[in-house]
Amino acid sequence: MKLLSATALATTLLAPLPAFADKAAVLNTYADIAAAGYEDSLVTAKALQAAVDALVADPSDETLAAAKESWITARAPYQQTEVFRFGNAIVDDWEGKVNAWPLDEGLIDYVDSSYGGATDENEYAALNVIANETFSLSGTEIDATNITPELLAETLHEADEVESNVATGYHAIEFLLWGQDLNGHGAGAGARPATDFATGDACTGGNCDRRGEYLKAATELLVSDLEWMAAQWQDNGAARETVLSDENAGLDAILTGMGSLSYGEQAGERMKLGVMLNDPEEEHDCFSDNTHNSHYYDGLGVQNVYLGSYTRVDGSVVSGPSLSELVAAADAEVDSALKADLEATMAELGELKEAAEGGFAYDQMLERGNEKGEELIMSAVDALVKQTKSIERAVTALGIDAIDFEGSDSLDNPDAVFE
Amino acid sequence: MKYLVLAAFIPSIATAGIDAVIDEHILPAHEAFTVATEELAIAAQADCRAEAVAPAYHEAFDAWMGVSHISFGPIETLGLAPAIAYWPDTKNSTGRHLDRLISVEDPIVEDVETFANVSVAARGFFALERLLYEEKYTGYEKGSYVCHLVQAISQDLATLAATLDAEWQDNFAQTLRTGGASGNETYFTEREALQAVFTSVVTGLEFNKDKRLGRPLGTFERPRPTRAEARRSGRSLRNVTLSLIALRDLNDALTDGAATQTQAAFDRAITHAETLDDPVFAGVADPSSRLKVEILQQAVTATGEAVRIEVGPMLGVSAGFNALDGD
Repeated sequence: MKLLSATALATTLLAPLPAFADKAAVLNTYADIAAAGYEDSLVTAKALQAAVDALVADPSDETLAAAKESWITARAPYQQTEVFRFGNAIVDDWEGKVNAWPLDEGLIDYVDSSYGGATDENEYAALNVIANETFSLSGTEIDATNITPELLAETLHEADEVESNVATGYHAIEFLLWGQDLNGHGAGAGARPATDFATGDACTGGNCDRRGEYLKAATELLVSDLEWMAAQWQDNGAARETVLSDENAGLDAILTGMGSLSYGEQAGERMKLGVMLNDPEEEHDCFSDNTHNSHYYDGLGVQNVYLGSYTRVDGSVVSGPSLSELVAAADAEVDSALKADLEATMAELGELKEAAEGGFAYDQMLERGNEKGEELIMSAVDALVKQTKSIERAVTALGIDAIDFEGSDSLDNPDAVFE
Repeated sequence: MKYLVLAAFIPSIATAGIDAVIDEHILPAHEAFTVATEELAIAAQADCRAEAVAPAYHEAFDAWMGVSHISFGPIETLGLAPAIAYWPDTKNSTGRHLDRLISVEDPIVEDVETFANVSVAARGFFALERLLYEEKYTGYEKGSYVCHLVQAISQDLATLAATLDAEWQDNFAQTLRTGGASGNETYFTEREALQAVFTSVVTGLEFNKDKRLGRPLGTFERPRPTRAEARRSGRSLRNVTLSLIALRDLNDALTDGAATQTQAAFDRAITHAETLDDPVFAGVADPSSRLKVEILQQAVTATGEAVRIEVGPMLGVSAGFNALDGD
């Protein structure tokens, strides 16, 4: 913390404005919310791990249902941390291990014949590791007799440099618990039977022991990856230190995370495109039909960091001086517009969630000509786009966009980039 | 406080810049796109076969390269970009959706209005490209389902282009021109209008670098020539060249030609593109020819840096959020 106090001192000497003291407090709140969010993700992932162990030890409809329930519970805090991804390189570099999507699930396990085989994009789209103890990958013979966390993380994940070779994380686990959703635009999630984990003659889908081994390895990995990230946000953790080390860059990271998630990622890639493609495979949590919750908690995460308040899974609240207060001090109108926009987004995402919970499945909403579904999704998209404009105005109000102009080799020395 | 000092200079540059952007770049480019897609629709109607449609397809695609980088305004509010050009297509959605339409001979092709409900993956230039150039469709006959599909996609493109053109002329040109005026709900200040244009330049360069060039380049160990954009119709490099030229024009209009280092960077990148003899970037798999594609990519990267460092402060803006942020 020596470095930090020196920086703070220097800043105070140069520009003794009272607002500067607030920035550090706002950044601390942000880091506290991140720490709590990853801790909650870890706690709920550990509960998922216990449920997975119970399922593999004694496969039944009940233990499978309990594991699925734990997975859905674990998603709620994790999705609220997605807002930390953009803007914090340490999170963005890491998140592919736990939340990569979309995936070519045929890499992992058996799939329906309609899935097809290898594609132009991915030679290993139908590799099926669970059914194959040895196979060749990019010219190397792989021994997968034992399915271990190391095999998944180091050999299979993003195999052949293909992003959709997702071998680890929430969505790999989701696929193993639910199986493919073969209902097309109809209601209903994947329907993997509990007997896919059964021993002896009761086993369905083949290689049940290896399927159980895979599921346990992937869950163990999820827990250890979340443990690592939670530690990065503790006192002296690298993620917290980076955010606190430069106040304006830290504020920029918060707003970049909010805007990038709202616009390019959630409104664009995850929501609008699905409607325009009319494709049930464009669902974010497609195996479990949990997409409405995934969208809802993403949106909530954005609102949390702006208002400086996060409600933990145990109901307690982490809060402190907020970015909202800082923006309000600079331009009260921008702040109230952004607050109203975030609230409007949550109302739209709430409607979507309610409709899905009432039986109007997200894949039905995506169907060609389904106007009610399109309206529900596009209203949320429009609200997210609108809040992005307000986020840009907050950047301007705080005067932190100028940090983008810092010097660059390529302009001072145009030939440098060719060296 | 450098930022505030610069801000004092904005008004004159800004007003001139926005007017030039609209009158010399956006409106003429949209008009050209409308004309070219109309001709495509007429050509397909007259003779739907691949050889007959191909020249008009290329003309129209060229014209799209003149407007595709303008990512704000009606194309954003109406969400038309993926309907005109759905790419990258990492899950072969275009192939799957076309096959679905063709296998059941979906009657939706019969009416241009209802055709607008079709998945964007089966609309626009990349769907048309598959039908015209992919071997499995070769030799489709006049009157066949594929023939009708070619006509429907062509007509749909003409409709999309006309919609955009009309929106710009009737509404959005005025919106962009009057940033900061009372009643302008889109741009609260003149600076926000400038920022929208500036973001388009930055995003357009990023798209060329990361997608059009980055996807086929892959990594040195694992190049991906089959991921080149519009490789079936041999347009991968052509799209980069035309897009860079359009972005240079937009940037010149925006800055009234004052951003000399950026101009130089654009010129360098465009010269590289024009002298590269690798139309679909097939050379990425070979170490020596790969280098030339890498150099082009570096030149595009350097142009993006120049825009950010030189043009940004000149206008007093930084890039806003863009559609590539999620990647």
